[in-house]
Amino acid sequence: MAKEKIKKNLIKYPYLERPVEIYERENGHKIVFAYKRGSLINISSWVKTGSINENDENNGISHFLEHLMFKGTSKHKAGEFDRTLESRGAIVNAATWKDYTFYYVTIPKGIDSKNFNDTLKLHADMMLDPIIPANEIGDPFNLNDKKITTKRERHVVIEEIRMRKDQPWTKVYNQCNNDLYTSHPYKRDVIGNEQIISTIKRETILDYYKKFYTPNNITTIIVGDLKAEEIIPKIIKEFDFKGRKNTILKENKPDKQIKGGKYSEVYSDINTGFLMFGYLGSKAGDIKTSTILEMICLILGQGQSSRLYQELIEKSKKTIFNIVSTDYYHFRDGGNLFVQANFIPDEKENAIKLIKNQIEKLYNQGIDEKELNKAKKKLKSAFAENSETVSDIAETIGFYMTVCDKLDCVEEYINVIDKITVKDIEVTAKKFLNTKNAVISVLMPQKYKK
Amino acid sequence: MKKIILNNGIEAIIKKNKNTPRTAVVIYVKLNKDEEKCGLYHLLTQLLLQGTKNRTSEELAAELDENAIDFCFEKKSDYIRLKMQFLNEDLNKAFELFQDVIENSTFNDYKKEIQKIKGELTADLDSAKIQAQDEYYRTIFKNHPYSIGRQEIINEINSITKKDLINTYKEIKNVLKKNIAIIGDFDENKVKPVLEKYLKNLSCKENKEERQKVKKIAKNRISTIIKEDANQAQIFLGWQTPTIKTKEYPVIILLNTILGASGLSSRLFLELREKKGLAYTVRSVYEPYLLCGNFFVYIATEPKNIKISIDGFKKEIEKIMTEPISEEELHNAKNNAIGKRQFYQETNMLEAALKGNYEYLGLGYDYEEKLNKLISKVTKEEIQDTAKKYFSQPNALCVLAPKKYLKEAGLVK
Repeated sequence: MAKEKIKKNLIKYPYLERPVEIYERENGHKIVFAYKRGSLINISSWVKTGSINENDENNGISHFLEHLMFKGTSKHKAGEFDRTLESRGAIVNAATWKDYTFYYVTIPKGIDSKNFNDTLKLHADMMLDPIIPANEIGDPFNLNDKKITTKRERHVVIEEIRMRKDQPWTKVYNQCNNDLYTSHPYKRDVIGNEQIISTIKRETILDYYKKFYTPNNITTIIVGDLKAEEIIPKIIKEFDFKGRKNTILKENKPDKQIKGGKYSEVYSDINTGFLMFGYLGSKAGDIKTSTILEMICLILGQGQSSRLYQELIEKSKKTIFNIVSTDYYHFRDGGNLFVQANFIPDEKENAIKLIKNQIEKLYNQGIDEKELNKAKKKLKSAFAENSETVSDIAETIGFYMTVCDKLDCVEEYINVIDKITVKDIEVTAKKFLNTKNAVISVLMPQKYKK
Repeated sequence: MKKIILNNGIEAIIKKNKNTPRTAVVIYVKLNKDEEKCGLYHLLTQLLLQGTKNRTSEELAAELDENAIDFCFEKKSDYIRLKMQFLNEDLNKAFELFQDVIENSTFNDYKKEIQKIKGELTADLDSAKIQAQDEYYRTIFKNHPYSIGRQEIINEINSITKKDLINTYKEIKNVLKKNIAIIGDFDENKVKPVLEKYLKNLSCKENKEERQKVKKIAKNRISTIIKEDANQAQIFLGWQTPTIKTKEYPVIILLNTILGASGLSSRLFLELREKKGLAYTVRSVYEPYLLCGNFFVYIATEPKNIKISIDGFKKEIEKIMTEPISEEELHNAKNNAIGKRQFYQETNMLEAALKGNYEYLGLGYDYEEKLNKLISKVTKEEIQDTAKKYFSQPNALCVLAPKKYLKEAGLVK
């Protein structure tokens, strides 16, 4: 058999001692190795699928599949993977989000890298040969049937859905997220709903796995004190896709910010008010604009010196807000900028007005040089912070490889930050942050329901 | 790692970790008596960031953020912990700000800070889990300062005066015992002069202990919270146990690993989640406070499952008390517990907090190695004996759920 042709590329990664190595195989499977001194190693595989590939009929399938991937392979029964690795001190888990699903093991390297070899075998086996046994999924059931006694993974996920329903921030976020979009799949909650999880068929899940867990859709990342020349051939050997065909992914048309904005109010058995202002941002791959939006977030609402904290909490004569902050989420088809606040319910109108005023101030008057420099320093420091653990490094790499399709931008990241100007911030704020178009969601105590 | 004693008597451990961009500093302040008013220490730690004679709170916040310096000051059950983190090149700047905060805080805005704290705690209490967890501490540590939760602070914080704050602050600055851990990629020889320069006005004396002892639970305690719209019941069931500095400490670490802290392969996870599908989150937690340990099991589950979950807990507790664990399970638990401890010092901040804590406890910064040896020597008989000894004691149960389901489970009338 002819030797596989593999493309190799090196990326200079800020705060790491050595360049990060990227290998692309003929079948499209990508392998990334980052050297990090220390006794822990991280092995992960990132799959380019999440709620972005879901619809109203199968919403939650990516996350449900993530749970079921741990239920055994042809070689290893359910539970063996967890037991074997955890008995060596590993942290084993997975996560699903809008653009990706990833599976990881962080483990002490062990003598002669023994743990690396064994973990890699188990991890590759799990990624490539999940059998998803029917008895582990559990039979489809009627949610209203109170007599169900055999409960399996469907019920575990439904408990996770219940848990999120009791979290006020999650509740207001879901509302805001849903209102931000008109047709894009991002509008759905990644975890799905009880109705779908209780009834979805095993075949549907297997088909979904076959469609999206293909070589060109997977990046395997290794971070730790290891030698590339020793580990790369092993990864290639273990990740034998046996000719698995690649799928061409459907592109989604990005949504546009709703003209005129949207307001919605929901209620819960709580004592304070929760609110979110949501805006659509730029595609994650547009590193410059995404970084500018991150900076706007920083200046507006991150840390005690931020505008929102100073103006609405520190300097406010009257207590209106308990908490106010901002966040920027990066997504392939366009990120989200959120302002989130917890407030005194009687002050709802005031709270909304005050946040609007602050966004408008930034929109109309921009920022000053001092704020810009602060944002630059904080972003660099945050990048340094994310280079401290093997799992954080792997997550940063996984994000860029999966959501931005490339790691090159990491090399340029510090440069991009340095070049951003006050003018850039002004232009970007004007483009994205019109308060007339803000999507506002509020969660209020039950007694305020009219 | 090296240990030095500063001119003011404060002990400092210093470690250089090559190729780490940020330095971490942790200062432990040992509390020798209980708070006179709930929330006093918490308020004080927050006020340290609210302005000095030289900087308004806004200027201080701006200077910290402009230099990407993080100050996090917190009151824990047995100590106050002052944490700082910054890029290595900002060592002097960070300590300069720290000195100003420690020596010149004005506490002028304390009334405003009280309102802010009350607001934040009230917002926290909108989480069902936090509500239930606070109630659990109230139940297991009844009337002891360890039982103080958010609601107690909300109720009492208004009674704190500026005089209370200044007296407590003086005590922290001049009397209470402190120790420091500092880890980063720096020239170790340059760190001592920095510490001497900026911390010169802190003093450190031996503390006289005046803390209230934890009373043993005489009979099972049950408390409930009715939350009509809860989608899940929150269940905490716990026992008072020995703590760190006792021979049982490594044994309880392993008990915790086996029962519910090893991740996806612990007994509770396998029995209550994997086999019975009762929960997404189920685990055990061991919190070794200075005066007493707290060992609890936790599950969040559909409200109709309260009884079956508590029975499930009891079955697993009974099992570990009565059936010897296998050599294999013990071996796996040891490897899990020891292996996982490497995560506890993966970053400079984690390592500084861990080793600083050992110093604060008087165990020595190299205690981690000793602890690993102690864990590796634990026998299966010790596990069973310790389980029997403490799990047969009265326990504390706290359940939050809609009334109908608490009633069904026989917890309320």
